[in-house]
Parts: sequence; C-alpha cells; structure tokens
Amino acid sequence: MEDTLQTEQALHLIQKLTDNIETVIKGKREQIKFVLTALLAKGHVLIEDNPGTGKTVMAKTLAQSISGSGSSDAQFKRIQFTPDLLPMDLIGSHIFDDAKKDFVFKKGPLFCHFLLADEINRASPKVQSALLECMAENQITIGETTYPLEQLFFTIATQNPIETEGTYPLPTAQLDRFFIKIYFGYVDEQTELDIYKDYLGIQTNLNQIKQVLSLSDVLHLQHQTEKVYIHDALIVAVRNIIRATRSHPEISLGASTRSGITFLKCLKAFALVNGRFYVTEDDLARLSSAVLDHRLIYRSKEGKQKALGQIIAVELDRLRRLNIQTTATASPAS
Amino acid sequence: MKLGKHYSFKKVMMQLLLLVLPAAVLACFFLKRVNAYYAILGNDWISQAIYFTIGCSLAVITFRYRFRFLPISLGLAIVLSFIYQLVQRLQIGEFDSFYAAITFYIFSILFLIGWLAGYGFSRSRNVSIIWSTLLLLLEIALVSRTSDITVSALISGIVPILIYSFYSIYTAELIRNTNENETQFTFFIGKRLVSFALLIFILLIGLLSYFKSDFQAVEKAWGGAKGQTNQDQNGNNGESMTQKNKEGGLQNKDQTRLSGSLNKDKQLVFVAKLDHFFESTKIPNPLYFTSHYFTRFDTLTQTFEVDENLPHNDLFKPDPSKIPLYFKESDTNIISQSLATRDRKVIAADVYKVGLAPESFVAPSTAFYCQPISVPEEYKNLYRSAYTTKMWVSDLNSAYFIYNPAGNTELEKFQELRFAKLRAIEQIKSPDKPFETYYTYMPANAEYKRITALAQKITQNAAAPIDKIIAIRDYFLSKDEFNQPLFKYSDNPGIPGIPSASKLNYFLFENRKGYCAYYAGATLFMLRSLGIPSRLAAGFLATDRSSKNPGWYWFYADQAHAWVQVYFQGYGWIDFDTTVPDVNTQQAPQPDGTPPTDVPATYLVVEGQVNAIDTLRKRIVLQTKRMLYHDTEFVASQERELNLDVSLARLLNDTGNIGLSAIKAGMRLTAVSRAEVLKTLFTQAGDNFETLVKRLPNPIPIDELKLQTKTEEKKAKEKEKKTEETPFNWFRFLYLTLGVLVGLTLIIFLLPFLIGWVLHLKAKSTKGSIAQQAFAKHRALIYYLNQMGYAANSNGPHAYAKNIDERFQTQLAPFMAIYQKLKYSTQGLTEAEQGVVTTFYTTNLKQLKKQLRWKHQLLSYLTINRTFQFFSKPK
Repeated sequence: MEDTLQTEQALHLIQKLTDNIETVIKGKREQIKFVLTALLAKGHVLIEDNPGTGKTVMAKTLAQSISGSGSSDAQFKRIQFTPDLLPMDLIGSHIFDDAKKDFVFKKGPLFCHFLLADEINRASPKVQSALLECMAENQITIGETTYPLEQLFFTIATQNPIETEGTYPLPTAQLDRFFIKIYFGYVDEQTELDIYKDYLGIQTNLNQIKQVLSLSDVLHLQHQTEKVYIHDALIVAVRNIIRATRSHPEISLGASTRSGITFLKCLKAFALVNGRFYVTEDDLARLSSAVLDHRLIYRSKEGKQKALGQIIAVELDRLRRLNIQTTATASPAS
Repeated sequence: MKLGKHYSFKKVMMQLLLLVLPAAVLACFFLKRVNAYYAILGNDWISQAIYFTIGCSLAVITFRYRFRFLPISLGLAIVLSFIYQLVQRLQIGEFDSFYAAITFYIFSILFLIGWLAGYGFSRSRNVSIIWSTLLLLLEIALVSRTSDITVSALISGIVPILIYSFYSIYTAELIRNTNENETQFTFFIGKRLVSFALLIFILLIGLLSYFKSDFQAVEKAWGGAKGQTNQDQNGNNGESMTQKNKEGGLQNKDQTRLSGSLNKDKQLVFVAKLDHFFESTKIPNPLYFTSHYFTRFDTLTQTFEVDENLPHNDLFKPDPSKIPLYFKESDTNIISQSLATRDRKVIAADVYKVGLAPESFVAPSTAFYCQPISVPEEYKNLYRSAYTTKMWVSDLNSAYFIYNPAGNTELEKFQELRFAKLRAIEQIKSPDKPFETYYTYMPANAEYKRITALAQKITQNAAAPIDKIIAIRDYFLSKDEFNQPLFKYSDNPGIPGIPSASKLNYFLFENRKGYCAYYAGATLFMLRSLGIPSRLAAGFLATDRSSKNPGWYWFYADQAHAWVQVYFQGYGWIDFDTTVPDVNTQQAPQPDGTPPTDVPATYLVVEGQVNAIDTLRKRIVLQTKRMLYHDTEFVASQERELNLDVSLARLLNDTGNIGLSAIKAGMRLTAVSRAEVLKTLFTQAGDNFETLVKRLPNPIPIDELKLQTKTEEKKAKEKEKKTEETPFNWFRFLYLTLGVLVGLTLIIFLLPFLIGWVLHLKAKSTKGSIAQQAFAKHRALIYYLNQMGYAANSNGPHAYAKNIDERFQTQLAPFMAIYQKLKYSTQGLTEAEQGVVTTFYTTNLKQLKKQLRWKHQLLSYLTINRTFQFFSKPK
C-alpha cells in the first residue's frame, strides 16, 4: 500500500516538474524528459546544438523549478566556459585569510546542486577534465583535503556543434561521463509561431519560475527510480545491444560495460519519467540513441547515421516476437 | 596447429551438394558413354564415377582448411604413381597384376581429375567456365570420333553437358555470392555466361576447322549411303532401312538420305540359308525377309508407323542377343495369329549377321522361332552372330511370285497359278470388325479421295480382290500415250512444289517416279480405299544369285525394301510387290563369299551364372539349372554348380571375341562344348539333369563361352525401349508441368493470406490467459499491418501505434501500452485494461479494413516479400 502511494506520489511530482518546465520551454517535451531521466538516474546531461535553441533556458528552468529563484534550498550555479577559464575558477582556491593567518578554501561554483556548464567545449581540455572528474567522483580533492560535493549534484552541460570554430571537442572517454546527450534542435513551425506571439509571456514565466519540487523530493525520486522494475528480457536486450556495438563493422569503438549499466539506470529513470514503474520496449527504442550515440566512435559519417539504428532495430524486432506470458517468472530467451 | 577455415561448413555442404553431386552425375553420364566405346576402361563406369566423386569431394573438403594445393597435389600424384609401380611389379600371376595395374591407373587418373575439379570449384571463380568448356569439347570429340554425327547423337551427347554447364556456372556464382547483394549477383552471372558463350564459340570455330575434313567425309557418306551411316553406331541395318521406308515414302525430310544411288552401297547386311526349294526340285525358292510391319498411317506427320498393338499381332520380335546360345525362343501363338490355315508349311532358315545389329531379327513371314547358334571358328571374322529361325510360310509367297514379273514370262506363268488360287476368294472377309477397320483405315482427306477415285477407276473391271491387286500392279506397269512407262523407278523422286501437298499424290498424279516405299504406300492406300485389308511390310528382298551354294542368300544394304501384304482369309497375309523394276541399274553380279559350312556338332550347352573364376587355372564354376545335351533340354529342380575347364574356350559377346579377363563372378554366360568325350556319351533313358551331370567329366571341357548382357542392364534396356516406344505425350507433360507450376505459384501467392488467416483465427479465439490472447492479437494485427505495407519500425511500439492511429483513426496506442505492461511489468491488469485487450482487435481491424481500400488489400496480400520480411530478421 505504501508502495503504491509512493509510486503515485513520485509520478505526481514528475508531472508537476514537467508541466512547470513546459511553461517556459515550448515544444520540447521529449528533451525535457531526457533531462529529467538523467537527473533521476543520478547522472548528468549534455545538450548539444546551435546557439539560441533554448539550451540555457532549459537548464535554468529545471534548476529553478527545484531550487526556486533565489531560494537557498537548492543552489543553482552557472559557468560560462571560455578558453581562458582555469580549473580553479571551477573548483575554488585557497585564499590567505589575514585574520586566521592561514589559507582557507574558497569554494568554487562546483559546490552546488545544479550546475549549468555553458558551452563546455569552449574551455581548454584541462578545465573540461577538471569538471568531468568532479562529475564522476562527486568530490574534489585539493592538496590533502577532500571536499565532497552536494548529495544532489546535477550538471547540465551545453556545447556547440563540434564543427563550430574555437571549440575543444570533448574526448569520448569524457563524453562517457554524461549519461545522456541530447540534441535540442529547432522547434516546429507552429510552436515557433506560438513562441514569437507570446515571447513576453515566456519571458515573464522564465523570471517567475516557481519552485515545484524540493531537494528532498528529487532525492526521493532518485530513490524511487532504483525500484523501477525491468524485465529480464530487456536486460538481455541491453546486453545484446551493447555487445552488438562492439562487433558492428561501422563502429570502431563499441560501448563499455559501464555504458550498459548507465543504460539500465537511464531506462528505469525514463520509465518513471514517462509515468511507469516498469521499463518497456518503447523506452529502449526512444532512449538508446540518446544514451549510446555519444559513446561510440564510428568509422564513417554514413555509419554514424545507420549503425546504432540497425542494432536497435534487430533487438526490437526480437523483442516484438517474444511471447512473454508469465510476467513474474519469465525466462527470456537470449 | 589450428586449421584455418576457408569456408563455413554450410558453404562446403552447399558446394558438395550443388556442385560436386551434379558433377558426379555428369561424370556418370560421360563415363558411361566413353565406356561404350573404349574397351580399356573395362566397362565399369559406376566405380569410375565413384573415383571421380571421391577425388572431387576430398578436394573440396580439404581446401576448406587452407591447405596448400600444390604440395598436396604433387604428393598425391607421387604416392599414386608409386603405388602404381608397386602394383605393376607385384607377382600374383601375370594376368591379374596387369589387370590390377590398369584398374589402379584408371582410378588414379579419374581421382586426380576429380581432385583438380574439386579444387577448382572451391578456389577459383572461373573454373566453372573452363570445366564446362572442357567437358563440352571432350563430348564433341567423343561424338565425332565414335559415331557419325547425327543430330540425335549430338543432342543426346551435348545437351546434358550444356545444361550442366549453365547450371554449374550459375550455381558456382550463387554459392560464391551468398553474401553479396542481388544486382551484383546478376551482373556476375551475366558476365560469366557471356564469357562462357564466347569461349565456346571460339573453341567451336577452331574445332570445326580442325575436323572439317571429317565432316565433309561424313556429309559425303550421308549423300551416298542409303541410311548406312548408322551402321557403326548401332549396326542396326534393318532398323535404319525401315527408318528409311517409314520416313522416305512420305516425308521429304529425309530426302538427302535417299537421294543417292542404290548401287553405291554394297555393304553386306546378313547372309541367310533358307531351306526352301520348289517342290521336289533343287531349285531354290527365295523369300522376302521381313523385319517390321507398318500398319498405321499418321496423317499428321505423313508417315507410316509401326504399331505395337495391331489386331492379331503376328510379328515375332525376339532379341537374339538376349537368348542364351542354343536355347530357343518361340511363340506358337504367332501361327494362330497369322490367321493362315491353307497352303502353309514350316520352313527353317539360318541367318548369319554381318552388319545387322545383334538384337535385330529378320525372317520371312511368318516367323515364330529363334535359336541363336554359334558361328564356326573360321568364319568368326566374317559373321558376328547367327541364329536359326523357323517360320510358317505360305506356298503362295515367293520372291519370284511376289515380284512383279516385269516381262519375265516364266514368272508370269507362276504368278497366274497363284492368282488362280486366290481368285476363288470373291470377297475378303476379315476375321473381326476391329481387324477390318484397322487394316482398311484411310485418312478422310481430299487428297486421299483422289487416290480412292484413282483406285476405283483402275479396278473398275476387276471383280475379285486379287484382280484388283493385279489391276493396280498393271497400272504401275502401264505405258503412256508415247509408249513410255507411265511410272519409273527413281531413288530421287524430287520434291513437290507445294510443301503441304501430299507426297503420295504428287507421286501418283504428277511425278510418277519413286522407289519401293512410294509404290508400296500408293498401293496400300488404293487397296484400303477398296476395302481390302492391307499393310506395309519392310525388310529385305531376296535374290537368288548363287549357283554354287543353293539355298544361300546374300543380303546387301541396297536390298532393303518395302512392299504390301494383303490379307486373304484362309491364306493369311500374302506378299505383293508393286514396285516397278529399275531400268537404269543392272543387277551387277555380287561377289558372294563362302557360306559358313561345316558347323561343328554341339554336344553340351549350359547356361548360368558364374560363381567363381580362376584365371590362372582357367576354371569357372558355373551355377546352372538348364542344360542342353545332344539337343535335349534338361532342367534341374534346383541350381547346381558345375566345374568348367575353359582353357581352350573362346569367349564371345555380341560383338566378337573378348578376353577371359572380362569374366567376373556374377555374370551370366552360356558355355558350349564340342568335346569328343561327349560325342559318345549318349543320354540314357530316364536320365535327368542330376544323373547326367554325374556322368559328365569334371571339369567339363568347354569350347566356347558366350557372355550375356547383365540382367539388370537388360531390364534397363527393355525399360528404355518401352519408354521409347510409347510415344511421349509432350502436351500432357506440358500440361502437368504447367499445372504444377500454377499450383505452386498459387500456393506461394496465397501464402500471405493463409498465414494471415491462421493468425487471425488465433487472435479471435478467447482461449488461454489474457497474456496469450494479447500476444496472439498483437501478432495478428502487426502481421496484417505489415502485409498492408505498414511494417513495424525501430521507433518502438508506442510510436508505431501512434503513427497508425493518426493514419487510420484507430485505437492501437492504448492497447500497445497495455500489451507492454503485460509483457514487461509484474503488475496485473485492471479490469478496464483487460476489457481493452479483449475488444480492441475486432474493432480496430474493422476500422483498418474500412480505411484500406479493397484493391490495396488485395495487392498487399500478393506482395509476398512483405511476408518474408515479417518472418525474417532485419538486416
């Protein structure tokens, strides 16, 4: 009984959050869901697209929906990455305190709950790796002291397309830290018209984003995510997909086992974001590309467009044929 | 060492099945033909084909693992040659080791050829072309060397190889390209076939120029010989003659074969001793030798045909080559079937074959008995085989009588005597109705009406049937207004201007030139139009030319003849010959040889199966049941083994002398003894097989052994013959093939619908758990949509359902969600959800069917590749 209550509560919370974000971000429901998926899976998200498609707004809205504007409940920090940015600008540095006659640690912007790392690929690799280290370890070590980051530390990084000038492309190994990479893309015709008509309203909304979720709510949701049921057949499917990326002729570097775990986490989170307590084929179909695409190195451009699609198509086809009858004790065929 | 696999197991199996097996079959076919012509091969084509196949398969399997080809092949060749040397030196009796060496030699050659072919199949792309070309060339060379180039020989030899060539090129490419896509595949096939055709073309040109002289010689032979070119191939002179008679008369197709002069071909066909003399004189009375009756006329092809099912069949057709030496085959039914009771007697004749095929049988009508006899040693080179025959001969038949006398007053007198007898018959009465309708059948055609009119005009003054026959004969002999013969004999009767015109009409009314078949054919129709039962007889005319050997007749190829037989009740079938004499050619005296005289007496003949053979001591153990001793036949109650001493024996088969090495256990043969020991060992009263054998010397000295064709082969041959004889109904075959094809196509095109139907029924049933129902419904719906061209994609079920819903205003998405829940969650369904599962299928299907047009549905169900896609894995 308690479970059901918690479930419904969780679903309600997610619905509230999504609706709140949608007041500002129009026509981006799928992307919102992906971002929330990354949040619930205790991961980070990378948004890639041309400037002016709403990446920053998205990150801001999410942060404020939880932290509220100016509220101290959850801290939201934003760093605009530039080529001359240094690691200390992120982490913080020891400053000599005249009063104590000692060096004290001045925390950098990383010590927050929501971090918007804008245009991450503009910064030098040194800075990028500093950030990504923190994302992975959830703690910062300076000298002899280790400073833990907040329990909820969620990074929304944005980057311009690799081809744009003046960028330092992130290495694949570091891209791996991001659970999900999404492309924002331009909104459709009608939505764009709506945005133009109501840009003032949106502007006001952005300034007055309500806090709908508390920090503990988010932690609760993260906890609930772990409980989402995933059928063995789907775990087999994930395994198959991950393994297939390693042997596909168009892919030179396949996905790692860690990627598989991340994939599973994301699947659960995505199911919850979609209002379910179980993972389905749909989740697999919709999420695979967002989770896996940036982890793979392709041999050619053509392969980049096709390879993953092929792998997923094969697996979905297999799943579609599966006749899983006894839901509880099903033994999936591999 | 781990062996690297060159091909997958599947591919090797495909090669073995699709390339090696057909190659082996073709090798069988080819080796069988080669064996028929080259004695050295020992006529053992099955094991030879097996050698080839072993080599081929081994090579394919070996090269699956990247073995080096050259060292292995070289090693193999060395090992084989070493074993060959070893076998040659082995001392197991000179005879056996030679035999073994030859056998091994053949084995190694064939094995190596197979080895090379197998290697080629598995390694090289172009080998199929080279292999096919090579086979084709070998076959052409074989055909041109061993038999004359007739169309049938060419076709039967080359067509299978040609078909195989295309097959192997196609299949080799198919196997090679199992992974490649379609367009490239057809391109490669096209390329291979074109290069194959080019290669064949170039090589054919070379071959033609090389064999040009041979071909010209063959052409000449065709022009000059009256159908004798087949002689070497089958030796079947009688056959080819009748062929001529059959086709020549009314078909202009074979004109070339008949256009030459008769006198050019003086090949001896057979020699016969006919024990038939004029009553109480020593003057020989020759008889025509019949080989076939042509009773039916096929209006479609304008040819006379041999009919197996003629009413009151009185044709005795034994195969002398299949009767054991000195054993008899007789059919006394023939005598009653001949329907002759008056003026008939039994006459015996000995026929010594020269050019005539071993299986051919000729005798004056009506023969009913055949006993193969052996040819005396000194005549062995001259005569191939011989038989004694007996026939039920009419006194009214005589070559002198049946010949139209053509001015010979002596003969005319004889004829008048015969005619007087037959004139007593005023009306020919057929024994029964089928007989009458059969033997007086005539096509109802304007052209034949003209013949009828002519026959009636000629015979208007004749009352008795015999007078009508004489009137027809006289018509052919009559003179025109310039006192020139109205009809002339010609081997070159010319071709009628209008191709469709009946050849006979042209002969009777315009050209009036022709040879025997023309005269016989015209006479036959005139007689039949008058209601007189008649048929064509084909065989050889006999001329008595030997003053030194009375009763002996020599038959040359140019004596092949056709004439008419007329039925007279009581007298049976009587020969009539209406062919006018050939004024242009004189009957040059024939240089007759000496007849085989002093046939030694044969005392013992046993026929049976060889159980064992000792080539060193020259002994044979024969298992037998039948024995002829001093012309009395003894049959044992059970098979017995006899020891035969064959040290002095000659071994014969149908074509001549062969070596003792040809005998193998299991063969059937006839042993003949002329030993002096047996001469005085007479049979006693009450002797049976067992008691007689006890008194015979052991081993029995044997003078002659005659090999018989193996029983299985005999049966196969008979079967072959039967299939040949029953006219193959091409239309039926065509209809059958078409029917099967249509059926298959129908099934294939109905398949999508049938599968859909089955799935639909399963979806409709409410059996099983809700999950099972949902699964069946989901499957049926997905199948239906897939068949309609809306295949499930990789966007996931929800997106797919939404897409369909938007397009057809259906409610798939809710079901899809429930189905996913059912499939992947542990939660149970609510009642509302269960309701959706049970009801959604029919309503949504209805909606879909409403939206989709009837024509679209029909066409979609015919698109079978969608069905295949549905059941196949995505690429």
